[in-house]
Amino acid sequence: MPQEFSRLSSSARSGQEQTEEDTGTAGASARARTQDTSLDSVLDDIESTLEDNAEEYVKGFVQKGGE
Amino acid sequence: MDRAPGIDHRRIFGIETEYGVSLTGGDGDCSAGQVAMAMFRSLVERNRSTNIYLSNGARLYLDVGSHPEYATAEALTPMDALIQDLAGERIMANLARQAGSILADRLGPGARVHVFKNNVDARGHSFGCHENYLLRRQVPLEMVRGQLVPFLVTRQLFTGAGRLGEDGFQLSQRADFLDEAVSSATTRARPMVNTRDEPHADPDRYRRLHVILGDSNRSQTVTWLKLATTHLVLGLIEEEVLAGRSIPFGDCALADPGAAMRSVSRDRNGRVPLDLEGGGTVSALDLQNRYWEACRAYIDDSGDQTGVGIPMVGKVLVLWRAALDALDAGRWEDLADWVDWAAKLRLLKGEEARGADPLKARRLDLDYHDIASGRSYGALVRHGMMRTLVDDHRIGEALRTPPQTTRARLRGNFVARAETTPLQWSCDWTRLVLQGNHRHEVRLMDPFAHESDEAYLAMMGELAQDRAVFDPV
Repeated sequence: MPQEFSRLSSSARSGQEQTEEDTGTAGASARARTQDTSLDSVLDDIESTLEDNAEEYVKGFVQKGGE
Repeated sequence: MDRAPGIDHRRIFGIETEYGVSLTGGDGDCSAGQVAMAMFRSLVERNRSTNIYLSNGARLYLDVGSHPEYATAEALTPMDALIQDLAGERIMANLARQAGSILADRLGPGARVHVFKNNVDARGHSFGCHENYLLRRQVPLEMVRGQLVPFLVTRQLFTGAGRLGEDGFQLSQRADFLDEAVSSATTRARPMVNTRDEPHADPDRYRRLHVILGDSNRSQTVTWLKLATTHLVLGLIEEEVLAGRSIPFGDCALADPGAAMRSVSRDRNGRVPLDLEGGGTVSALDLQNRYWEACRAYIDDSGDQTGVGIPMVGKVLVLWRAALDALDAGRWEDLADWVDWAAKLRLLKGEEARGADPLKARRLDLDYHDIASGRSYGALVRHGMMRTLVDDHRIGEALRTPPQTTRARLRGNFVARAETTPLQWSCDWTRLVLQGNHRHEVRLMDPFAHESDEAYLAMMGELAQDRAVFDPV
Protein backbone atom coordinates (compact mmCIF):
# COMPACT_ATOMS: atom_id res chain seq x y z
CA MET A 1 0.00 0.00 0.00
CA PRO A 2 2.72 2.56 0.77
CA GLN A 3 4.14 1.67 -2.64
CA GLU A 4 1.03 2.67 -4.52
CA PHE A 5 0.94 5.98 -2.74
CA SER A 6 4.59 6.70 -3.47
CA ARG A 7 3.99 5.91 -7.14
CA LEU A 8 1.17 8.41 -7.10
CA SER A 9 3.51 10.97 -5.59
CA SER A 10 6.32 10.54 -8.13
CA SER A 11 4.03 11.03 -11.12
CA ALA A 12 2.27 13.88 -9.38
CA ARG A 13 5.58 15.63 -8.82
CA SER A 14 6.63 15.42 -12.45
CA GLY A 15 3.30 17.00 -13.40
CA GLN A 16 4.00 19.91 -11.08
CA GLU A 17 7.46 20.58 -12.53
CA GLN A 18 5.99 20.82 -15.97
CA THR A 19 3.43 23.38 -14.78
CA GLU A 20 6.14 25.59 -13.34
CA GLU A 21 8.20 25.44 -16.54
CA ASP A 22 5.23 26.27 -18.73
CA THR A 23 3.91 29.24 -16.80
CA GLY A 24 6.09 31.70 -14.91
CA THR A 25 4.14 34.90 -15.61
CA ALA A 26 3.03 36.94 -12.60
CA GLY A 27 -0.65 36.34 -13.43
CA ALA A 28 -0.20 32.61 -13.60
CA SER A 29 1.61 32.36 -10.30
CA ALA A 30 -1.00 34.58 -8.62
CA ARG A 31 -3.65 32.21 -9.97
CA ALA A 32 -1.65 29.24 -8.72
CA ARG A 33 -1.45 30.85 -5.25
CA THR A 34 -5.24 31.36 -5.19
CA GLN A 35 -5.70 27.76 -6.20
CA ASP A 36 -3.34 26.63 -3.43
CA THR A 37 -5.28 28.66 -0.87
CA SER A 38 -8.57 27.16 -2.05
CA LEU A 39 -7.10 23.66 -2.01
CA ASP A 40 -5.92 24.25 1.55
CA SER A 41 -9.42 25.36 2.55
CA VAL A 42 -10.91 22.23 0.99
CA LEU A 43 -8.41 19.98 2.75
CA ASP A 44 -9.10 21.77 6.05
CA ASP A 45 -12.83 21.18 5.54
CA ILE A 46 -12.45 17.44 5.01
CA GLU A 47 -9.68 16.79 7.55
CA SER A 48 -11.84 15.50 10.37
CA THR A 49 -14.01 13.43 8.03
CA LEU A 50 -10.99 11.63 6.60
CA GLU A 51 -9.82 10.70 10.07
CA ASP A 52 -13.23 9.39 11.09
CA ASN A 53 -13.40 5.56 11.07
CA ALA A 54 -10.91 5.43 8.19
CA GLU A 55 -10.20 1.71 8.39
CA GLU A 56 -13.83 0.66 8.77
CA TYR A 57 -14.82 3.04 5.98
CA VAL A 58 -12.28 1.66 3.52
CA LYS A 59 -12.48 -2.05 4.35
CA GLY A 60 -16.12 -2.28 5.32
CA PHE A 61 -17.45 -1.27 1.92
CA VAL A 62 -18.36 -4.68 0.51
CA GLN A 63 -21.05 -5.39 -2.06
CA LYS A 64 -21.74 -8.62 -3.87
CA GLY A 65 -21.43 -7.24 -7.39
CA GLY A 66 -24.32 -6.33 -9.59
CA GLU A 67 -25.46 -5.44 -13.15
CA MET B 1 -19.37 15.27 -46.84
CA ASP B 2 -22.77 14.71 -48.49
CA ARG B 3 -25.65 14.87 -46.09
CA ALA B 4 -28.60 12.54 -46.45
CA PRO B 5 -31.60 14.89 -46.43
CA GLY B 6 -34.35 14.66 -43.86
CA ILE B 7 -32.55 12.49 -41.33
CA ASP B 8 -34.09 12.49 -37.91
CA HIS B 9 -31.28 13.35 -35.48
CA ARG B 10 -33.34 13.11 -32.33
CA ARG B 11 -32.28 10.62 -29.73
CA ILE B 12 -33.49 9.31 -26.39
CA PHE B 13 -30.95 9.31 -23.55
CA GLY B 14 -31.06 7.51 -20.24
CA ILE B 15 -28.63 6.80 -17.39
CA GLU B 16 -28.88 3.86 -15.00
CA THR B 17 -26.74 4.29 -11.90
CA GLU B 18 -26.03 1.49 -9.42
CA TYR B 19 -24.99 2.80 -6.03
CA GLY B 20 -22.85 1.05 -3.42
CA VAL B 21 -23.84 1.22 0.25
CA SER B 22 -22.18 0.71 3.64
CA LEU B 23 -22.39 1.76 7.27
CA THR B 24 -19.70 2.89 9.74
CA GLY B 25 -19.66 3.75 13.42
CA GLY B 26 -22.40 1.31 14.44
CA ASP B 27 -22.44 -0.86 17.57
CA GLY B 28 -22.48 -4.14 15.65
CA ASP B 29 -22.25 -5.25 12.03
CA CYS B 30 -24.53 -4.14 9.25
CA SER B 31 -24.26 -5.63 5.76
CA ALA B 32 -24.82 -3.80 2.48
CA GLY B 33 -28.08 -5.73 2.14
CA GLN B 34 -29.35 -4.45 5.51
CA VAL B 35 -28.44 -0.87 4.65
CA ALA B 36 -30.20 -1.16 1.29
CA MET B 37 -33.34 -2.65 2.87
CA ALA B 38 -33.45 0.16 5.42
CA MET B 39 -33.23 2.67 2.57
CA PHE B 40 -36.17 1.02 0.83
CA ARG B 41 -38.30 0.40 3.94
CA SER B 42 -40.72 3.31 3.56
CA LEU B 43 -41.04 2.66 -0.18
CA VAL B 44 -41.84 -1.01 0.41
CA GLU B 45 -44.44 -0.09 3.02
CA ARG B 46 -46.15 2.21 0.54
CA ASN B 47 -45.75 0.25 -2.67
CA ARG B 48 -45.23 -3.34 -1.47
CA SER B 49 -42.35 -3.55 -3.92
CA THR B 50 -38.67 -2.67 -4.33
CA ASN B 51 -39.28 -1.79 -7.97
CA ILE B 52 -41.00 1.57 -8.28
CA TYR B 53 -41.75 4.12 -10.97
CA LEU B 54 -41.74 7.71 -9.72
CA SER B 55 -43.71 10.81 -10.58
CA ASN B 56 -40.65 12.18 -12.39
CA GLY B 57 -40.84 9.20 -14.75
CA ALA B 58 -37.78 7.42 -13.34
CA ARG B 59 -37.46 3.85 -12.08
CA LEU B 60 -36.06 3.24 -8.59
CA TYR B 61 -35.23 -0.30 -7.54
CA LEU B 62 -33.08 -2.64 -5.54
CA ASP B 63 -30.78 -4.52 -7.89
CA VAL B 64 -28.86 -7.79 -7.65
CA GLY B 65 -26.13 -7.53 -5.01
CA SER B 66 -28.01 -5.04 -2.78
CA HIS B 67 -27.42 -2.07 -5.04
CA PRO B 68 -29.99 0.71 -4.92
CA GLU B 69 -30.39 1.67 -8.55
CA TYR B 70 -31.90 4.69 -10.26
CA ALA B 71 -32.77 4.67 -13.96
CA THR B 72 -33.58 8.13 -15.29
CA ALA B 73 -36.69 8.78 -17.32
CA GLU B 74 -36.28 9.10 -21.07
CA ALA B 75 -34.56 12.40 -21.89
CA LEU B 76 -34.40 14.15 -25.24
CA THR B 77 -31.14 15.99 -24.52
CA PRO B 78 -27.97 15.28 -22.54
CA MET B 79 -28.88 18.21 -20.25
CA ASP B 80 -32.28 16.71 -19.40
CA ALA B 81 -30.60 13.37 -18.70
CA LEU B 82 -28.07 15.08 -16.42
CA ILE B 83 -30.81 16.85 -14.44
CA GLN B 84 -32.71 13.58 -14.02
CA ASP B 85 -29.54 11.79 -12.89
CA LEU B 86 -28.89 14.52 -10.31
CA ALA B 87 -32.46 14.10 -9.07
CA GLY B 88 -31.63 10.41 -8.59
CA GLU B 89 -28.56 11.34 -6.54
CA ARG B 90 -30.70 13.49 -4.29
CA ILE B 91 -33.33 10.78 -3.89
CA MET B 92 -30.61 8.33 -2.83
CA ALA B 93 -29.25 10.85 -0.32
CA ASN B 94 -32.76 11.29 1.12
CA LEU B 95 -33.24 7.52 1.40
CA ALA B 96 -29.85 7.28 3.12
CA ARG B 97 -30.99 9.83 5.70
CA GLN B 98 -34.11 7.77 6.43
CA ALA B 99 -32.03 4.60 6.67
CA GLY B 100 -29.68 6.37 9.07
CA SER B 101 -32.42 7.08 11.58
CA ILE B 102 -33.89 3.57 11.21
CA LEU B 103 -30.51 1.91 11.76
CA ALA B 104 -29.49 4.25 14.61
CA ASP B 105 -32.24 2.63 16.70
CA ARG B 106 -30.41 -0.67 16.54
CA LEU B 107 -26.78 0.41 16.02
CA GLY B 108 -26.56 3.57 18.10
CA PRO B 109 -26.30 7.28 17.30
CA GLY B 110 -22.79 6.93 15.81
CA ALA B 111 -24.08 4.86 12.89
CA ARG B 112 -23.52 6.61 9.59
CA VAL B 113 -24.86 5.47 6.21
CA HIS B 114 -22.69 5.82 3.11
CA VAL B 115 -23.93 5.72 -0.46
CA PHE B 116 -21.26 5.55 -3.13
CA LYS B 117 -21.72 6.77 -6.65
CA ASN B 118 -18.65 4.87 -7.79
CA ASN B 119 -17.98 1.53 -9.47
CA VAL B 120 -15.89 -0.72 -7.23
CA ASP B 121 -15.94 -1.80 -3.59
CA ALA B 122 -13.11 -2.75 -1.22
CA ARG B 123 -12.92 -6.32 -2.51
CA GLY B 124 -12.92 -5.55 -6.22
CA HIS B 125 -16.61 -6.14 -6.89
CA SER B 126 -17.56 -3.82 -9.70
CA PHE B 127 -20.93 -2.31 -10.52
CA GLY B 128 -22.02 0.03 -13.22
CA CYS B 129 -23.27 3.26 -14.62
CA HIS B 130 -25.03 2.28 -17.82
CA GLU B 131 -25.82 4.75 -20.55
CA ASN B 132 -28.71 4.13 -22.93
CA TYR B 133 -28.90 5.61 -26.41
CA LEU B 134 -31.74 4.99 -28.82
CA LEU B 135 -30.01 3.99 -32.07
CA ARG B 136 -31.38 3.61 -35.59
CA ARG B 137 -31.82 -0.06 -36.40
CA GLN B 138 -29.87 0.24 -39.66
CA VAL B 139 -26.54 0.60 -37.83
CA PRO B 140 -24.86 -2.83 -37.92
CA LEU B 141 -23.31 -4.09 -34.70
CA GLU B 142 -20.01 -4.56 -36.48
CA MET B 143 -19.91 -0.80 -36.92
CA VAL B 144 -20.56 -0.27 -33.24
CA ARG B 145 -17.55 -2.46 -32.49
CA GLY B 146 -15.27 -0.97 -35.13
CA GLN B 147 -16.27 2.71 -35.05
CA LEU B 148 -17.82 3.42 -31.64
CA VAL B 149 -15.87 1.23 -29.20
CA PRO B 150 -12.51 2.96 -29.92
CA PHE B 151 -14.17 6.25 -28.96
CA LEU B 152 -15.64 4.80 -25.78
CA VAL B 153 -12.34 3.21 -24.76
CA THR B 154 -10.39 6.45 -25.15
CA ARG B 155 -12.97 8.97 -23.87
CA GLN B 156 -11.94 8.00 -20.32
CA LEU B 157 -9.20 10.64 -20.78
CA PHE B 158 -11.91 13.10 -19.69
CA THR B 159 -14.75 10.88 -18.41
CA GLY B 160 -12.74 8.76 -15.94
CA ALA B 161 -13.70 9.17 -12.29
CA GLY B 162 -10.22 8.22 -11.01
CA ARG B 163 -9.24 5.31 -8.80
CA LEU B 164 -6.44 4.50 -6.41
CA GLY B 165 -5.85 0.91 -7.55
CA GLU B 166 -3.39 -1.81 -6.63
CA ASP B 167 -0.70 -0.37 -8.90
CA GLY B 168 -1.28 3.33 -8.28
CA PHE B 169 -3.66 6.02 -9.44
CA GLN B 170 -5.56 5.41 -12.66
CA LEU B 171 -8.06 7.43 -14.68
CA SER B 172 -10.93 4.97 -14.65
CA GLN B 173 -12.95 3.06 -12.08
CA ARG B 174 -14.11 0.44 -14.55
CA ALA B 175 -11.11 -0.30 -16.77
CA ASP B 176 -9.90 -3.34 -14.81
CA PHE B 177 -13.33 -4.98 -14.71
CA LEU B 178 -14.47 -5.29 -18.30
CA ASP B 179 -14.30 -8.33 -20.54
CA GLU B 180 -15.29 -8.38 -24.17
CA ALA B 181 -16.20 -5.40 -26.33
CA VAL B 182 -19.72 -6.24 -27.51
CA SER B 183 -21.98 -8.90 -26.05
CA SER B 184 -25.53 -9.67 -25.04
CA ALA B 185 -24.92 -10.57 -21.37
CA THR B 186 -24.02 -8.28 -18.46
CA THR B 187 -23.80 -10.20 -15.23
CA ARG B 188 -21.49 -13.08 -16.21
CA ALA B 189 -19.18 -11.68 -18.85
CA ARG B 190 -18.99 -7.91 -18.54
CA PRO B 191 -19.00 -6.42 -22.03
CA MET B 192 -18.32 -2.77 -22.87
CA VAL B 193 -21.41 -2.43 -25.02
CA ASN B 194 -24.41 -4.63 -24.41
CA THR B 195 -26.64 -5.53 -27.31
CA ARG B 196 -29.42 -7.33 -25.47
CA ASP B 197 -32.19 -6.09 -27.65
CA GLU B 198 -34.88 -4.41 -25.57
CA PRO B 199 -35.44 -1.13 -27.38
CA HIS B 200 -38.56 -0.15 -25.35
CA ALA B 201 -39.64 1.31 -28.69
CA ASP B 202 -40.54 0.15 -32.21
CA PRO B 203 -38.03 -2.70 -32.76
CA ASP B 204 -38.21 -2.32 -36.54
CA ARG B 205 -36.79 1.18 -36.29
CA TYR B 206 -34.58 1.22 -33.24
CA ARG B 207 -32.26 -0.66 -31.01
CA ARG B 208 -31.25 0.50 -27.55
CA LEU B 209 -27.50 0.78 -27.26
CA HIS B 210 -26.51 -0.07 -23.71
CA VAL B 211 -23.05 1.29 -22.88
CA ILE B 212 -21.58 -0.40 -19.84
CA LEU B 213 -17.94 0.63 -19.73
CA GLY B 214 -18.39 4.12 -18.32
CA ASP B 215 -17.67 5.37 -14.81
CA SER B 216 -20.26 6.99 -12.56
CA ASN B 217 -19.43 10.68 -12.54
CA ARG B 218 -19.77 13.30 -9.82
CA SER B 219 -18.85 16.09 -12.23
CA GLN B 220 -22.03 17.43 -13.78
CA THR B 221 -20.02 18.70 -16.71
CA VAL B 222 -18.65 15.25 -17.46
CA THR B 223 -21.99 13.43 -17.17
CA TRP B 224 -23.35 15.90 -19.68
CA LEU B 225 -20.29 15.88 -21.95
CA LYS B 226 -19.99 12.11 -22.12
CA LEU B 227 -23.59 11.83 -23.34
CA ALA B 228 -23.18 14.75 -25.74
CA THR B 229 -19.94 13.52 -27.33
CA THR B 230 -21.21 9.94 -27.59
CA HIS B 231 -24.40 11.27 -29.19
CA LEU B 232 -22.41 13.16 -31.83
CA VAL B 233 -20.31 10.10 -32.66
CA LEU B 234 -23.47 8.00 -32.95
CA GLY B 235 -25.15 10.65 -35.09
CA LEU B 236 -22.26 10.63 -37.52
CA ILE B 237 -22.29 6.83 -37.67
CA GLU B 238 -26.04 6.83 -38.38
CA GLU B 239 -25.65 9.37 -41.17
CA GLU B 240 -22.90 7.39 -42.80
CA VAL B 241 -24.92 4.20 -42.67
CA LEU B 242 -27.98 5.85 -44.17
CA ALA B 243 -25.77 7.32 -46.91
CA GLY B 244 -24.43 3.86 -47.69
CA ARG B 245 -20.94 4.38 -46.27
CA SER B 246 -19.29 2.53 -43.43
CA ILE B 247 -16.22 4.06 -41.78
CA PRO B 248 -16.59 7.75 -40.92
CA PHE B 249 -13.66 7.60 -38.50
CA GLY B 250 -11.30 5.52 -40.64
CA ASP B 251 -9.79 2.19 -39.67
CA CYS B 252 -9.75 2.63 -35.92
CA ALA B 253 -10.93 -0.79 -34.67
CA LEU B 254 -8.80 -1.83 -31.72
CA ALA B 255 -7.10 -5.25 -31.68
CA ASP B 256 -7.91 -5.76 -27.99
CA PRO B 257 -10.36 -3.19 -26.56
CA GLY B 258 -10.04 -4.60 -23.02
CA ALA B 259 -6.25 -4.27 -22.98
CA ALA B 260 -6.54 -0.81 -24.54
CA MET B 261 -9.00 0.22 -21.82
CA ARG B 262 -6.51 -0.77 -19.13
CA SER B 263 -3.57 0.96 -20.86
CA VAL B 264 -5.45 4.22 -21.38
CA SER B 265 -6.56 4.17 -17.76
CA ARG B 266 -2.90 4.14 -16.68
CA ASP B 267 -1.64 6.92 -18.93
CA ARG B 268 -2.67 10.41 -18.00
CA ASN B 269 -0.88 11.86 -21.04
CA GLY B 270 -2.89 9.84 -23.55
CA ARG B 271 0.20 8.77 -25.46
CA VAL B 272 0.61 5.04 -24.88
CA PRO B 273 0.38 3.15 -28.22
CA LEU B 274 -2.74 1.00 -28.71
CA ASP B 275 -2.71 -1.90 -31.21
CA LEU B 276 -5.09 -1.55 -34.14
CA GLU B 277 -6.90 -4.55 -35.56
CA GLY B 278 -5.64 -3.79 -39.05
CA GLY B 279 -2.02 -3.48 -37.87
CA GLY B 280 -0.06 -0.52 -36.52
CA THR B 281 -0.73 1.51 -33.41
CA VAL B 282 -2.48 4.70 -32.41
CA SER B 283 -2.54 6.74 -29.19
CA ALA B 284 -5.66 7.59 -27.19
CA LEU B 285 -5.10 11.28 -27.92
CA ASP B 286 -4.73 10.62 -31.67
CA LEU B 287 -7.99 8.70 -31.69
CA GLN B 288 -9.82 11.36 -29.70
CA ASN B 289 -8.46 14.07 -32.02
CA ARG B 290 -9.76 12.11 -35.00
CA TYR B 291 -13.23 11.87 -33.42
CA TRP B 292 -13.17 15.54 -32.45
CA GLU B 293 -12.29 16.67 -36.00
CA ALA B 294 -15.02 14.52 -37.54
CA CYS B 295 -17.61 15.78 -35.04
CA ARG B 296 -16.61 19.40 -35.66
CA ALA B 297 -17.21 18.92 -39.36
CA TYR B 298 -20.50 17.20 -38.56
CA ILE B 299 -21.66 20.11 -36.39
CA ASP B 300 -20.53 22.67 -38.99
CA ASP B 301 -22.69 20.85 -41.53
CA SER B 302 -25.77 20.01 -39.54
CA GLY B 303 -25.82 22.87 -37.03
CA ASP B 304 -28.80 22.74 -34.72
CA GLN B 305 -29.95 19.46 -36.26
CA THR B 306 -27.69 17.43 -33.99
CA GLY B 307 -30.13 17.32 -31.13
CA VAL B 308 -27.61 18.42 -28.49
CA GLY B 309 -29.29 21.80 -28.40
CA ILE B 310 -27.90 25.20 -29.35
CA PRO B 311 -25.94 26.89 -27.81
CA MET B 312 -24.80 23.81 -25.93
CA VAL B 313 -23.46 22.13 -29.04
CA GLY B 314 -20.67 24.73 -29.30
CA LYS B 315 -19.76 24.11 -25.70
CA VAL B 316 -19.34 20.40 -26.40
CA LEU B 317 -16.56 21.05 -28.89
CA VAL B 318 -14.87 23.69 -26.72
CA LEU B 319 -14.75 21.54 -23.58
CA TRP B 320 -13.76 18.40 -25.43
CA ARG B 321 -10.96 20.35 -27.19
CA ALA B 322 -9.79 21.87 -23.90
CA ALA B 323 -9.47 18.42 -22.36
CA LEU B 324 -7.42 17.04 -25.26
CA ASP B 325 -5.17 20.12 -25.42
CA ALA B 326 -4.49 20.10 -21.69
CA LEU B 327 -3.49 16.43 -21.71
CA ASP B 328 -1.42 16.93 -24.86
CA ALA B 329 0.52 19.65 -23.00
CA GLY B 330 0.91 17.45 -19.92
CA ARG B 331 -1.25 19.84 -17.89
CA TRP B 332 -3.91 17.66 -16.30
CA GLU B 333 -4.19 20.18 -13.44
CA ASP B 334 -6.00 22.51 -15.84
CA LEU B 335 -8.89 20.02 -15.87
CA ALA B 336 -9.15 19.66 -12.10
CA ASP B 337 -12.27 21.85 -11.82
CA TRP B 338 -14.40 19.67 -14.09
CA VAL B 339 -12.77 16.27 -14.82
CA ASP B 340 -13.38 13.88 -11.93
CA TRP B 341 -10.07 12.02 -12.03
CA ALA B 342 -8.11 15.29 -12.14
CA ALA B 343 -10.13 16.77 -9.25
CA LYS B 344 -9.49 13.67 -7.20
CA LEU B 345 -5.79 13.55 -8.07
CA ARG B 346 -5.40 17.19 -6.99
CA LEU B 347 -6.94 16.34 -3.62
CA LEU B 348 -4.74 13.26 -3.23
CA LYS B 349 -1.62 15.28 -4.01
CA GLY B 350 -2.70 17.89 -1.48
CA GLU B 351 -3.21 15.25 1.19
CA GLU B 352 0.12 13.70 0.38
CA ALA B 353 1.88 17.04 0.80
CA ARG B 354 0.33 17.15 4.28
CA GLY B 355 1.80 13.75 5.06
CA ALA B 356 -1.35 11.64 4.75
CA ASP B 357 -0.86 7.89 4.98
CA PRO B 358 -2.13 5.40 2.37
CA LEU B 359 -5.23 4.55 4.42
CA LYS B 360 -6.26 8.19 4.46
CA ALA B 361 -5.67 8.36 0.71
CA ARG B 362 -7.98 5.38 0.19
CA ARG B 363 -10.51 7.03 2.48
CA LEU B 364 -10.39 10.16 0.33
CA ASP B 365 -10.67 8.13 -2.88
CA LEU B 366 -14.01 6.79 -1.59
CA ASP B 367 -15.23 9.95 0.13
CA TYR B 368 -15.28 11.74 -3.24
CA HIS B 369 -18.12 9.39 -4.32
CA ASP B 370 -20.07 9.28 -1.04
CA ILE B 371 -23.24 11.22 -1.84
CA ALA B 372 -24.73 10.61 1.62
CA SER B 373 -21.92 11.41 4.08
CA GLY B 374 -18.98 12.43 1.89
CA ARG B 375 -17.41 15.88 2.26
CA SER B 376 -14.80 16.35 -0.45
CA TYR B 377 -16.97 16.88 -3.54
CA GLY B 378 -19.18 19.38 -1.74
CA ALA B 379 -16.15 21.21 -0.36
CA LEU B 380 -14.70 21.52 -3.88
CA VAL B 381 -17.94 23.06 -5.15
CA ARG B 382 -18.19 25.41 -2.17
CA HIS B 383 -14.66 26.72 -2.66
CA GLY B 384 -15.10 27.24 -6.39
CA MET B 385 -12.85 24.34 -7.33
CA MET B 386 -15.50 22.26 -9.11
CA ARG B 387 -17.79 23.69 -11.78
CA THR B 388 -21.48 22.87 -11.83
CA LEU B 389 -24.04 23.17 -14.64
CA VAL B 390 -27.36 22.83 -12.85
CA ASP B 391 -28.63 24.90 -9.91
CA ASP B 392 -30.25 23.28 -6.88
CA HIS B 393 -33.68 24.61 -7.72
CA ARG B 394 -33.80 22.76 -11.04
CA ILE B 395 -32.69 19.55 -9.37
CA GLY B 396 -35.42 20.00 -6.77
CA GLU B 397 -38.04 20.37 -9.50
CA ALA B 398 -36.77 17.24 -11.25
CA LEU B 399 -37.53 15.18 -8.13
CA ARG B 400 -41.22 15.51 -9.02
CA THR B 401 -41.30 16.66 -12.64
CA PRO B 402 -40.60 14.38 -15.60
CA PRO B 403 -38.88 15.58 -18.77
CA GLN B 404 -41.59 17.36 -20.79
CA THR B 405 -40.49 16.30 -24.27
CA THR B 406 -40.65 12.49 -24.11
CA ARG B 407 -43.21 9.88 -23.09
CA ALA B 408 -41.79 10.23 -19.55
CA ARG B 409 -44.17 13.20 -19.24
CA LEU B 410 -47.17 10.90 -19.70
CA ARG B 411 -45.84 8.26 -17.32
CA GLY B 412 -44.80 10.74 -14.64
CA ASN B 413 -48.12 12.59 -14.68
CA PHE B 414 -49.95 9.26 -14.50
CA VAL B 415 -47.92 8.11 -11.50
CA ALA B 416 -48.33 11.45 -9.72
CA ARG B 417 -52.10 11.24 -10.04
CA ALA B 418 -52.48 7.49 -9.45
CA GLU B 419 -50.52 7.73 -6.19
CA THR B 420 -53.21 9.96 -4.69
CA THR B 421 -56.00 7.40 -5.30
CA PRO B 422 -56.73 4.01 -3.70
CA LEU B 423 -57.04 2.43 -7.18
CA GLN B 424 -54.84 -0.41 -8.41
CA TRP B 425 -52.31 0.72 -10.98
CA SER B 426 -49.03 -0.33 -12.49
CA CYS B 427 -46.62 0.78 -15.18
CA ASP B 428 -43.35 0.09 -16.91
CA TRP B 429 -41.35 1.89 -19.61
CA THR B 430 -43.94 1.29 -22.35
CA ARG B 431 -47.25 0.64 -20.57
CA LEU B 432 -49.63 2.26 -18.07
CA VAL B 433 -52.37 0.18 -16.48
CA LEU B 434 -55.22 1.36 -14.25
CA GLN B 435 -57.92 -0.79 -12.68
CA GLY B 436 -60.80 1.62 -12.13
CA ASN B 437 -64.44 1.16 -13.07
CA HIS B 438 -62.96 -0.12 -16.29
CA ARG B 439 -59.54 -1.53 -16.93
CA HIS B 440 -57.42 1.01 -18.80
CA GLU B 441 -54.24 0.07 -20.57
CA VAL B 442 -52.25 2.68 -22.46
CA ARG B 443 -49.26 1.64 -24.57
CA LEU B 444 -46.42 4.14 -25.00
CA MET B 445 -44.34 2.58 -27.77
CA ASP B 446 -42.99 5.83 -29.19
CA PRO B 447 -40.55 7.36 -26.67
CA PHE B 448 -40.70 10.71 -28.48
CA ALA B 449 -44.51 11.00 -28.22
CA HIS B 450 -45.38 13.20 -25.24
CA GLU B 451 -48.91 14.41 -26.03
CA SER B 452 -52.02 12.80 -24.54
CA ASP B 453 -54.17 10.68 -26.83
CA GLU B 454 -57.82 9.72 -26.26
CA ALA B 455 -57.08 6.55 -24.28
CA TYR B 456 -54.67 8.42 -22.01
CA LEU B 457 -57.15 11.22 -21.39
CA ALA B 458 -59.87 8.71 -20.54
CA MET B 459 -57.63 7.01 -18.01
CA MET B 460 -56.53 10.31 -16.45
CA GLY B 461 -60.19 11.37 -16.35
CA GLU B 462 -61.08 8.36 -14.26
CA LEU B 463 -58.18 9.07 -11.93
CA ALA B 464 -59.36 12.66 -11.49
CA GLN B 465 -62.86 11.47 -10.70
CA ASP B 466 -61.65 8.97 -8.19
CA ARG B 467 -59.42 11.47 -6.50
CA ALA B 468 -62.41 13.77 -6.09
CA VAL B 469 -64.25 10.98 -4.26
CA PHE B 470 -61.23 9.88 -2.33
CA ASP B 471 -59.94 13.29 -1.32
CA PRO B 472 -62.74 15.87 -1.67
CA VAL B 473 -60.69 19.04 -1.32
